[in-house]
Amino acid sequence: MLAGVWAAGALCQQVLSVRRGGPDYSQPAGSPARGLLYNLTLGMLPTRKESARLHPGKFAVGIVMHLGTLACLALVVVSLIDADAGLRGLTLLRPLVAVALLAGLYLLVRRGVSRNLRAMSVPDDYVAIALTCGLLGLSLAAPLFAQGRATLLGYAAVLLVYLPLGKLRHAVFFFLSRGELGSRLGYRGAYPPLRARTE
Amino acid sequence: MCAEQKAAAAEPTQAQVPRPASAGAPTTGHEARAAQAELARVVRGPVAAHLNACVRCGLCAETCHIYLAEPEPANVPGVKAARVVDHYRRYHTLLGRLAPKLVGAAELSSAALEQLVETVYGRCTACGRCAVHCAVGADVAAIIRAGRRVLAALARVPAGLQRTVHNQLETGNQMAIPREELLSTGQWLSEELRSELGDERAGIPVDRKGSRVLYLINPREVKFFPLSLLAAAGVFHKAGESWTLSSRFYDVTNYGFYSGSDVAAAELTRRVMAEAAELGVAEVVLSECGHGFRSFRWEGPNWIARRYPLPMRSILTLIEEYLDRGRLRPDPEKNSERVTLHDPCNLVRWGGVSEPQRRILRRVVREFVEMTPNRANNFCCGGGGGMLSMSEFGERRLLSGKVKAEQIRRTGAKIVATPCHNCADQLIELSRHYELGIEVKAVSELVYAALV
Repeated sequence: MLAGVWAAGALCQQVLSVRRGGPDYSQPAGSPARGLLYNLTLGMLPTRKESARLHPGKFAVGIVMHLGTLACLALVVVSLIDADAGLRGLTLLRPLVAVALLAGLYLLVRRGVSRNLRAMSVPDDYVAIALTCGLLGLSLAAPLFAQGRATLLGYAAVLLVYLPLGKLRHAVFFFLSRGELGSRLGYRGAYPPLRARTE
Repeated sequence: MCAEQKAAAAEPTQAQVPRPASAGAPTTGHEARAAQAELARVVRGPVAAHLNACVRCGLCAETCHIYLAEPEPANVPGVKAARVVDHYRRYHTLLGRLAPKLVGAAELSSAALEQLVETVYGRCTACGRCAVHCAVGADVAAIIRAGRRVLAALARVPAGLQRTVHNQLETGNQMAIPREELLSTGQWLSEELRSELGDERAGIPVDRKGSRVLYLINPREVKFFPLSLLAAAGVFHKAGESWTLSSRFYDVTNYGFYSGSDVAAAELTRRVMAEAAELGVAEVVLSECGHGFRSFRWEGPNWIARRYPLPMRSILTLIEEYLDRGRLRPDPEKNSERVTLHDPCNLVRWGGVSEPQRRILRRVVREFVEMTPNRANNFCCGGGGGMLSMSEFGERRLLSGKVKAEQIRRTGAKIVATPCHNCADQLIELSRHYELGIEVKAVSELVYAALV
């Protein structure tokens, strides 16, 4: 609980410290709201986003890992309220969590193997994915031993403490950055793009 | 209004107006402190969202023309952004202060600043293609410009680029063209125009008060490509437009945008708007220039922290209006060669103007083919970001243009139209370097050719 309060408080402080930058004095040519909505929805599809389209496998692996992680975090919260329900949920979602764990391990290995990723990675990048894999692994194991739930809750607390400090805070800044860019380009009439496909 | 907008909006003192870097550099400690102070100012705005968003996934690599031409890690957009992000982390994040090695946080040492110069000026045109394709929407171009802002404040802008800024501030135009040269070029072009159109009323008016339009041009048109100015003048005449140039502040470019000096950028913006007021015009029309359009149309009001009292637009939308209203009647058969279109990044991706030039070309040329990809997905020509004025990065600039050269070659076009004189310069060099055998023309040149 304390870890959750810390994570929420620290992230709020970081988000609030991102200043809007004052009013835009230029004359608008479009809708910032439409641009924001586009960039948080259709703009993320592989049909619109080249980085996903050129790397469909890695894109899919990333999606699966994130889905599994979100599911585990949700079940940790459920488990706080109703221990049995939480463990039942983890049992039910084992296939997803298992695949998500494999996805996470693939990304961890890939980061150490790829020339480009090694050049741009710092220890925090490895810690972030390792912590996530740890959550997924413990979520798989938790229903199988007596102290499973307590161990998982303790681990999740550690993860939440680290979340605002390192790269994992992209969980929140993802929305801020996509929102800000979408809003800015929407204001200029550049988003949503008229012809969004690669033409 | 935030602190950095206030700073940009205030009239610059002599000390603030950027000068070419002097031989006597400040001490390491002083420069490092100054860099930290500037960084603190720069990261206070929305760019902080992007500085915190990058997850170093590396999927941005192939979106970058520089990486595609030279596929080394230093050219991955995420790596380039990291050069700025790492300094941000060192001074503005908890782990960056307590455990810098864990998060790759880096001190703003003199050595780091040298590397930053090479990265943000020499390995990136800030075209933003990576930003629109980034998984988390990190605006790498904004991060790069944040780095340029820090370096500009420390007078560490590459000499060629800084000289261009200096020219603009001291003489009113980036090429330091004397007023007499503009006037004399205007005179002989007017004679040419009268001869071509057979109309004594045709000409290039300068400083004509009460005109409807103040037209800003690229000084390159005066110096090297006067036929581009002649074409625009011909279009205005055929459309019956009331327009004028200014002999004092006619430059559509804004090299403060490229260098990272918001103070210089604001000053250049302020001068143009004051000149428009002085001439009593009803609107300001911008010649074909990508960064000029973006700077004046979108960034300028925020640099000076006030709305413009006059509308401002690209000549492209004005030409389209002329065509729609029947004020121009082009014959597309007069442009019989196959034409393709290069989309300038700052006009299209960042400026939102992607369709007028296409609609115009379809009406004034016989055969128009698109490059692939195009519009906001188009690749940078490699000449943006001030690259053309930084000779030390010339080799990379030409190499990074390989992607564009291949795009052009695949179209089979003989003419590349581009609504940006900066891109045009780069495309002309690329044509020579990669033996493309193409001509490069402004859109207004093709329009004029279809009228006479």
